[in-house]
Amino acid sequence: MKRLLVLAALAAACAQPPKKDYAKLVSSNPRAILVVPVVNKSVDVDAADYFLSTLSVPLAERGYYVFPVNLVKRMLEDEGMADASLVHGTDPARLCALFGADAVLFVTIEQWTAKYMLITTQVTVEFNYVLKDGRTGEELWRDHEAGVYASDSAGGGLAGAIAAAIVAKAAPNYMPMARQANARAMAYPGPGFPAGPYRPEHRKDLPAAAEAPAAAKPAQAPAAPQAPAAPK
Amino acid sequence: MRPLHMLAALAVLAGLSQFGCAQTMYRWGGYDEALYDHYKNPQKRDEYVAKLSGIIEAAEANGGVVPPGCYAEYGWALYEEGRATEAVVYFEKESKRWPESRPLMEKLIRNAARAKAPAATPAAVPASAVEGGKK
Repeated sequence: MKRLLVLAALAAACAQPPKKDYAKLVSSNPRAILVVPVVNKSVDVDAADYFLSTLSVPLAERGYYVFPVNLVKRMLEDEGMADASLVHGTDPARLCALFGADAVLFVTIEQWTAKYMLITTQVTVEFNYVLKDGRTGEELWRDHEAGVYASDSAGGGLAGAIAAAIVAKAAPNYMPMARQANARAMAYPGPGFPAGPYRPEHRKDLPAAAEAPAAAKPAQAPAAPQAPAAPK
Repeated sequence: MRPLHMLAALAVLAGLSQFGCAQTMYRWGGYDEALYDHYKNPQKRDEYVAKLSGIIEAAEANGGVVPPGCYAEYGWALYEEGRATEAVVYFEKESKRWPESRPLMEKLIRNAARAKAPAATPAAVPASAVEGGKK
């Protein structure tokens, strides 16, 4: 009985229904996603590039083709768009046409800070993720994630806490928190992306509400998965 | 009995977390760390290029799929070093393995061909202008 309860609890946690409206993302059905350089609202000038490096893997693991982020960044620089906020202000359709993408992911760092107190260090990260359609420019999906980590005295007593604070002071490590935020943002079921074309469960894991509009126009439904590839 | 049940439950849980949630589709081989290190220490460019090369070799050697973008990222790194001929090989591999990348890879292959043609000043003059001058 106990085992069953544990499994039931796990199943419930995994099968948690997504709360957002996936209709636009489902009908757009992107295959290839462009990840452009990150807009950085923190004072840490390195944060944008560091965070950019964490985005490809979790997104590609959701089953989408993800354009190589460093190549994209360098090509945009060559096009005179070295400033990420300039890129984010550009028409998504124009950006996607430049690379042959179906959708573009704009990510903004809202916070990337370390606050040093007497014996604790508090590291805070906060991100906004917005996916826009490569033809219409319409917003398809968005998410917001934040994380706070405080080195505290719960584990190692005062001496341990001081040691932890010193270590953190030398080089607060944002990367695990950044990766966790991405994992939460992209998890599905959850706030993230339904399976893309490279996952076996593609088009089989959709919420019933999002599937309905596609079923309403049966003439277009079979052709829909191929539609984004056609203009190329 | 009870400990056995617990063990069974744990085994099932471990199985679920391994195959249900945490499994990765691709052998990334530290692609994200390679990028991170490259941004942190841009002067260690050789290490970055070697890591990209290693990711591709490891994935190919195991008969696995080279993750999306990795061929192209490596090709671009070669292109930036003026190794246009080698770069084209990897742009072609990306294009073949990942059809979504084809339009971009074709563009990059054309650029690389232009960079190769006037050997003295790679990519400094658009190919169209060079051809016009010759005629």
